[in-house]
Amino acid sequence: MTIPPEILFIIDLLASLSPYIIVCLSLNLEFGYAGVANFGKTLSVAGGAFLVGYLPGRFTSWILGIETGNYVANSNAIVTQINTVFTVNPILALSIFILTAITSMIIGAALGFLAAYPVVRLREEYLAMVFLAMGEALLVIGYNYPELVGGTLGIMVPDPFAWFRELRYTATTIIMLFIAILTFIYVEMLTKSPLGRMLRAIRDDEYAAMALGKNVARVRVKTVMLSSAIAALGGVLYAFYSGGVIATAYNRVSWTFWPWVMVILGGTANNKGAVLGTFIFVTIRKIIEFNKDKLTPYVPFDVVWLDMLLLGVALIIILIFKPEGIIPEKPIKTLNLKKP
Amino acid sequence: MVIDPIYRDALIFASLLTLLSIGLTLTYLTTRVPNFAHGSFATIGIYVALTISRVFKHNVYYGLPLSFLLGGFTALAQYVFILKPLLKRNASINHLMVATIAFELILLAALNIYADFLGRVFKITSRYFQLRGLDFQYAGYPGLLIVAPSLVALICLILYIVLTRTKFGIAMRATIENPSLAETLGVNANLVYTVSWFLAGGLGGLSGNLLPLWFIGNPDTGSFMLVSIFAASTSGGLYSLSGALIGGYLIGFAEVLGTSRLASLIGVWIIPYRPIIPLTVMVLTLMIIPRGLSDLASRIVGRGVS
Repeated sequence: MTIPPEILFIIDLLASLSPYIIVCLSLNLEFGYAGVANFGKTLSVAGGAFLVGYLPGRFTSWILGIETGNYVANSNAIVTQINTVFTVNPILALSIFILTAITSMIIGAALGFLAAYPVVRLREEYLAMVFLAMGEALLVIGYNYPELVGGTLGIMVPDPFAWFRELRYTATTIIMLFIAILTFIYVEMLTKSPLGRMLRAIRDDEYAAMALGKNVARVRVKTVMLSSAIAALGGVLYAFYSGGVIATAYNRVSWTFWPWVMVILGGTANNKGAVLGTFIFVTIRKIIEFNKDKLTPYVPFDVVWLDMLLLGVALIIILIFKPEGIIPEKPIKTLNLKKP
Repeated sequence: MVIDPIYRDALIFASLLTLLSIGLTLTYLTTRVPNFAHGSFATIGIYVALTISRVFKHNVYYGLPLSFLLGGFTALAQYVFILKPLLKRNASINHLMVATIAFELILLAALNIYADFLGRVFKITSRYFQLRGLDFQYAGYPGLLIVAPSLVALICLILYIVLTRTKFGIAMRATIENPSLAETLGVNANLVYTVSWFLAGGLGGLSGNLLPLWFIGNPDTGSFMLVSIFAASTSGGLYSLSGALIGGYLIGFAEVLGTSRLASLIGVWIIPYRPIIPLTVMVLTLMIIPRGLSDLASRIVGRGVS
């Protein structure tokens, strides 16, 4: 069975969308609602992805009793062996997937705490600078400490959806989309709850919130931790889908700057906006990527840069002329908790 | 006299970093937004140096005025076309920071396009290049070892004279202290901001022009230095130019010497983790003395007097 290229394009698009939707929802929770400018989104995303490079392969080979020796050096052979087992054992594969996802969220929350705690009481700009630096630091570790994710060469990861066999890509895409939708529902409910209102209150006037007895620093740290946990889940999905992890893929531009563009484009402090922004942005980039070979012979440089240039300009235009984004923030509709 | 080569590295790196941290502090003082595109001003200088030396076959140092102007005008463009309209619309600090990130993306893209262009049209190495062989030697030492610290000293002297002895400099300090009050006294605050941004970009350009004479240049070199620049400025206090000078040398020396010390203590595997040093210093400063070294110094001096 051959899949037509248009369908492949759509599957690829949906697959790239899901992790970004999750990361953007988490950024929106943190920045849009709580007003914490996290310029180190890549810290938690890479945290989740690096865990995928580190844990599932080692853990599964330990369960299955596979002799690993030097795991990083033999990872290709080990992962192939694990995938063969996963093809016939969906329960083991899914358990490993869920275990990795949960562990990654804990790691993500821990990284968020580590970055936010020291500077959360200071002004936004200090927080932003420290977040950025923390993200860079984790990348430096991932790139230089081969035990983690294979350093400069990267590492293969087991495929928990190998049991779908030839439908693997389609199935993974659907599962990822499903998780993204669940995340959306969760964040939507969270932000419409009293907690969401408190976050906005803190964002808009921290002194008023403090006067009303809210512990602003504590709430901020908790929000960053929660949002980092969600972002780490995005990293996990992306890493499993790619089938491998390499530190350079989790750079500042891809996982901090792009999500920012998406959230600002769609509109901050509303989850539909974040999703819409992600959709528009990822689609535009995929279309450019799909057609870039057509432009390549005419310009003396790599077309990738043109796309970065245009998106940078677009972001500035939005910031100046429509800072509230495509879907502006609306007053909260509270959930109806009373039973009729 | 023989100087251990590691001290050469440290002195050169710290001097170049200081030029950048002074610029970053200058822009922060005026517009109160940390410029995430500041590192790329240096990259502009790096590519001016490459073009002057490899395409036009001139001495690298001839590129300095051009680097200063190009860096300056780029920063000016950032202020006039991006930050000023946003400030006029009362944009929040977060939106201003995002705008500087957007400008960083544009600069990164433009520099990469230029690097590709140089490589493909002039067939020269335009990525991961170094121009060490093109520097002059003085008494067995690389020229940059003298030029870089002297340039910092000269810039500091000029800034000191301008800020304390000229009418414009005093107006500048007044604007930094209290923009609205300065404006009521007839100071053109906009002009002060414009000059500060131009100067900041220019200093970044100068630093970048000298950088490939000793270190490796690439379109993202400046972006990678951003963490060090932030660390230098914040540990200096972010509100003081003398702090930026102290912070620049502190972080520069801590990075280079700290890495080599640690390497000899625990092993060479530590060397690639060098970027963690400025991060650690920055976090520790913010936790212990959030107003930075300049504040600490003035408090100690203040106590001594009283």
